[in-house]
Amino acid sequence: MCVGLPARVMNLKNGRAVVDASGARKEISAELLEDLEPGDYVMVHAGVAIARIRGNDQDQMDDLIDDLL
Amino acid sequence: MQENKRKAVTLAHGGGGRQTNELIHEIFKKYFDNPDLTADDAAVLSMDEGRIAMSTDGFIVSPAEFPGGDIGKLSICGTVNDLACMGARPMYLTCAFVIEEGFPMEKLDRIAASMARTAEEAGVRIVAGDTKVAGRGQVDGVFITTTGIGRIPEGVETSGTKARPGDVVIVTGDVGRHGCTILLAREDFGIDADVTSDCAPLSGAVEAMLSATPDIHVIRDATRGGVGTVLYEIAEQSGVGVNIDAASLPVDQSVRGVCGLLGLEPLYLACEGRLVVIAPKDRADDLLQVLRQGKYTADAAVIGEITEDMPGRVTMTTEIGSKTLLPPPGGELLPRIC
Amino acid sequence: MSEKSAEKALRIIKNYDGPRVRIMEVCGTHTHENFRLGVRQLLPEAVDLISGPGCPVCVTPADYIDEAVWLAREKGVTVCTFGDLVRVPGSRMSLAEARAEGGKVRIVYSPDDACSYAKDHPEEEVVFLSVGFETTTPGACLSLVRASRDGVTNYSLLTANKTMPQAYRALKGSADAFLYPGHVNAITGTGVCRELVKEGISGVVAGFTANELVTAFALCLAMLQKGEPFFVNAYPRVVREEGSPEGMRLIDQWMEACDTEWRGLGVIPGSGLKLRKEAEAYDARIKYEIPRMEARTHTACRCGEVLQGRCRPSDCPLFGKGCTPLHPVGACMVSGEGACSAYYQYGM
Repeated sequence: MCVGLPARVMNLKNGRAVVDASGARKEISAELLEDLEPGDYVMVHAGVAIARIRGNDQDQMDDLIDDLL
Repeated sequence: MQENKRKAVTLAHGGGGRQTNELIHEIFKKYFDNPDLTADDAAVLSMDEGRIAMSTDGFIVSPAEFPGGDIGKLSICGTVNDLACMGARPMYLTCAFVIEEGFPMEKLDRIAASMARTAEEAGVRIVAGDTKVAGRGQVDGVFITTTGIGRIPEGVETSGTKARPGDVVIVTGDVGRHGCTILLAREDFGIDADVTSDCAPLSGAVEAMLSATPDIHVIRDATRGGVGTVLYEIAEQSGVGVNIDAASLPVDQSVRGVCGLLGLEPLYLACEGRLVVIAPKDRADDLLQVLRQGKYTADAAVIGEITEDMPGRVTMTTEIGSKTLLPPPGGELLPRIC
Repeated sequence: MSEKSAEKALRIIKNYDGPRVRIMEVCGTHTHENFRLGVRQLLPEAVDLISGPGCPVCVTPADYIDEAVWLAREKGVTVCTFGDLVRVPGSRMSLAEARAEGGKVRIVYSPDDACSYAKDHPEEEVVFLSVGFETTTPGACLSLVRASRDGVTNYSLLTANKTMPQAYRALKGSADAFLYPGHVNAITGTGVCRELVKEGISGVVAGFTANELVTAFALCLAMLQKGEPFFVNAYPRVVREEGSPEGMRLIDQWMEACDTEWRGLGVIPGSGLKLRKEAEAYDARIKYEIPRMEARTHTACRCGEVLQGRCRPSDCPLFGKGCTPLHPVGACMVSGEGACSAYYQYGM
């Protein structure tokens, strides 16, 4: 239901952020997230940064699969 | 008074009288002049013996000018590339303009200049033309139709029906850039990215390939519908399957970003300067070598192969090593959000 | 190291030798990515992957489209919509057809863009088609925050927003585990999943990359073999326990729960959202006095059963015949994410 794309925060002003998703720049709402800073990575869905991204999917996989076995 | 008249195209410019003549002289003849350009009702041309290729294409693009090109350049490249895909060396073009009343004269001048530059680069002469002016709102700016003919050298026989299992599939550069450029230029989505159209004349690239080997089975210009649509057409026409390796497909990083935001598939975005080339596997290295020396084809890559199984279908080997079907082309490209 | 965990995950999936299980994805993007990556090929024969009701387009009933078409045709309203909705068939026509007839239908990337358009075109009446789950709804609410702050009075929402928790409960019997939609949980947090475990409903919150999907399936199968109800967050880099409190607050500020119809599933009590009374100035239904639409649907269409995993798309008599992505009849064929469309396009 929800296409999301990771993007890097370039600058922030009044609850708005300009993000860069692999070279595609777009101004979006940053109002859902507190204490965002330029350089942070966020998940973007339909013009809103819905979550901060911490780490990459590879490390996440390592942790989860290691825990499992 | 005289100044004003020159600023925009008026219905009188399409009336066939003095003002039409003025327009032809001040813009079209200025740029297109060559010994074969006719002042009569039709151009009279001499052709060598042998086979000729002939093609026609209409061009509508909004906006008319975009990063990397404009409708003029597009209208020359489109027909030149269609001819080149049959292995033909493009020789002569005609062009017909339908211009919206009020279209800025200056812009028309730029478009004509761009056509002349592109034609010169492609080694093709514009030999006849036509101008009509339509009332405001009846066309969107300017529409251009070009028709061209070219000569096919001996021993060259390319066709969408000739792909054979075992052949390699080459694209001559990264895919989807033109479509992405236009999408961004329309400013509907407030997305900004450094993407320029790949619009380019490819007759030189085809000539270089044919001089490396005439043994090329299919050459297709991946325009509207993109590389994905072309691959499906070839699979259908030749009754073969096409398998592409997702990882080897060249896509510009920014195009990928835009596609990611809007949920679009780069394989279905238009190109205007990319060929899909299908040739026997043992010719691949020779072809890549000449392509990589070309001005517009430096990023050429083998992206897959022709298979016997799954005839009429295009499959992809995915990043996790399984095989999936490329969704068949369909309808208008709509950004997918939810 | 990392290569190893991918191999381990794939081994867990391939070596699954437990009882026959049904895993239901309830996110259209999961459906899409699973097909794009060819994930089904990796799953052993004993694992059924069901594409459940995860795409807001698929579950949006025909009368909603009828309302939007009515606004465009009868009221001359500029309808702003996500691209997915444009081809969805209404009872009489789709928005694409309404547009061809001269109706103003504008595709936007976000509700925010729709609000901007309204602000820049004060002479037009602009309605945003507010569909979507918890992920998308805060954005619609933010556009109202902006409209009210900037005094944009020509902007309103036609709501069909939905929430997932009641849907999981309604679908409890259709799946042994859910692949929870990561971006919904990014907003709601994971408390709801823990609640569901107490009710015997299992699932794994999954991300969307190849690594994330493979991890989620491996976890799901490993946990299913243990036989106890479970919940695992396999997308912790994005999904936090608390979700987005601000996102949930915005939804609560502007909207309240209501009963709503899911195309193919019928009415699920408490699974919808509508604008609160205080926000009725932004409620297109009130603003334009939209009449009640009586939708007609195709009787042979089996979308409802497909959404519940009771039949495969190819079991439907219309599939690939009267119903194709270019000429969709049922909801599941309409969206690129719909189960039928995905099956059709990927030739499964």
